[in-house]
Amino acid sequence: MAEPYLSLEGMTKQFGGVPVVSTTNLAIDRNSLVVFLGPSGCGKTTLMRMVGGLDLPTSGTIRLDGEPVSGPDRRRGMVFQSYSSFPWLTVEGNIAFGMHYRNDLTAAEKAERVRHYLRLIRLEDFAGSYPNRISGGMRQRVAIARSLAAGPDVLLMDEPFGALDALTRERLQVELRQIQKTEAKTIIFVTHDVEEAVFLADRIILFSARPARILHDIDVSAVLGTERTLEARETQAFFNLRNDILHRIRTETELHL
Amino acid sequence: MWADLVAFRGKSSAKADLLLGAMLAAGLLLLWEAVARAGLVAPQFLPAPSAVLSAAWTMTTQQSLLWHAAVSTFRVLLAFAIAAAMAIPIGILMSSYRIVGAALEPTIDFIRYLPVPALVPLSIIWFGVGETTKIFLLWLGTFFQLVLLVADDMRRVPHEYVEVAFTLGAKPRNVLTDVALRAMGPTLVDNLRITLGWCWTYLVLAEIVAADSGLGFVIWSARRYVKTPEVMAGVVVIGIIGLVTDQVLRMLHRRMFRYL
Ligand SMILES: Nc1ncnc2c1ncn2[C@@H]1O[C@H](COP(=O)(O)OP(=O)(O)OP(=O)(O)O)[C@@H](O)[C@H]1O
Ligand SMILES: [Mg+2]
Repeated sequence: MAEPYLSLEGMTKQFGGVPVVSTTNLAIDRNSLVVFLGPSGCGKTTLMRMVGGLDLPTSGTIRLDGEPVSGPDRRRGMVFQSYSSFPWLTVEGNIAFGMHYRNDLTAAEKAERVRHYLRLIRLEDFAGSYPNRISGGMRQRVAIARSLAAGPDVLLMDEPFGALDALTRERLQVELRQIQKTEAKTIIFVTHDVEEAVFLADRIILFSARPARILHDIDVSAVLGTERTLEARETQAFFNLRNDILHRIRTETELHL
Repeated sequence: MWADLVAFRGKSSAKADLLLGAMLAAGLLLLWEAVARAGLVAPQFLPAPSAVLSAAWTMTTQQSLLWHAAVSTFRVLLAFAIAAAMAIPIGILMSSYRIVGAALEPTIDFIRYLPVPALVPLSIIWFGVGETTKIFLLWLGTFFQLVLLVADDMRRVPHEYVEVAFTLGAKPRNVLTDVALRAMGPTLVDNLRITLGWCWTYLVLAEIVAADSGLGFVIWSARRYVKTPEVMAGVVVIGIIGLVTDQVLRMLHRRMFRYL
């Protein structure tokens, strides 16, 4: 069997002796969008931060392309739940900052990439605006573009749309799905919104309450295909899958009552 | 324009603010002048503003008041520059590396609470009564406050900014210059402005200690002969210098951080 692209092997995490993530084994394919779904406080952020190299696991290893992860670097980009665009840089400047530490690109290539990602997040008209002058949803798009511009192999997104209104959120979900296709990225996306998970995911990993343990591993693309349009949301297959997952979550929590 | 002035957290308008501030100041001056002229208070205690003004004029023309002011300003700026040049890197390091923070914090916190006047005798024993003592006292009153403020500014840089930079390929050194310094910029400049004000408050103390120049010296020697208008003139000059520097620094702050 071929070596998995991104693998978590026997990962655990404790904070001061309290287990937050219990033994997790997971292999993630290249160019897939995997959603971590689980109740609030179950340890999703912790797991993702370990993949990003921002926290060290108590035990276990993470490998990307066979190489163990030992700290944060440019191969794994991160989009945080809160708006983390830099207030002192313009929209354009923020996106350019994504490539600040890339010496392999010429200035012209960088400028071209900035334009490309500005178009992608549809903020060309706000290129010169500072984050304080644009809306929260726009700011989050800037943070996403900045991460993409860096050209990471894996993009880690922690509830990036959590604080957005339903409409903006829906649009960004569609955009993200498109970006993932055109840019061929491996994405791990954390959420506790079932609908969002089903719409975005190629695969959903359903976690238990703390300490996080994998309950189910659901192949969404096998059911819904890889093409996702807004209409996909209204199909019977979508509803069935959503209800199925909600049902599984409910059974799980009832076991704990 | 006027409605905003009385609205709770109303919009500010530079013109209205300026006008209102000037009006109140002028009102107070008039009241003071009236009280003094009416002879309600002995002039040794409260000379009229006009008397203070004329004293200031005589001092300027005959006693080189401006030179004294320049000397004082120079002392303050020198001491402050030394304090800031030390406090900024040390404060940043304190919040960047636990080893520096943990080692320095208790000592700095201890010294910070020592009243500067209590250290005057010690300072004279160490440095004599020359220029060094004055600079030292001003530095003492500023550095230990500023270093903790800087450390605090650095600590408040959102950790996410730092982590984002790391995932974009930054090294710790890059994070310091490209992210932390930029993120803390506005609060840092604000804290510099505030501590520069504190530095001025120690000036008179430093210049009372056997000086023959500076505004503190002017005030202190005028006091000896109960030349109240001259005492007040000296105080007013300090106030004016303070007001002007503060406004200049505020303007600089607005220019530097247009994105706020
Ligand atoms: N640095 C830390 N120190 C101690 N405990 C922590 C730390 N970080 C997280 N925890 C604990 O670990 C648990 C999981 O936190 P985590 O942030 O991973 O949850 P989550 O699944 O992302 O939740 P949410 O969906 O609400 O964001 C929580 O109970 C939290 O209290
Ligand atoms: Mg979380």
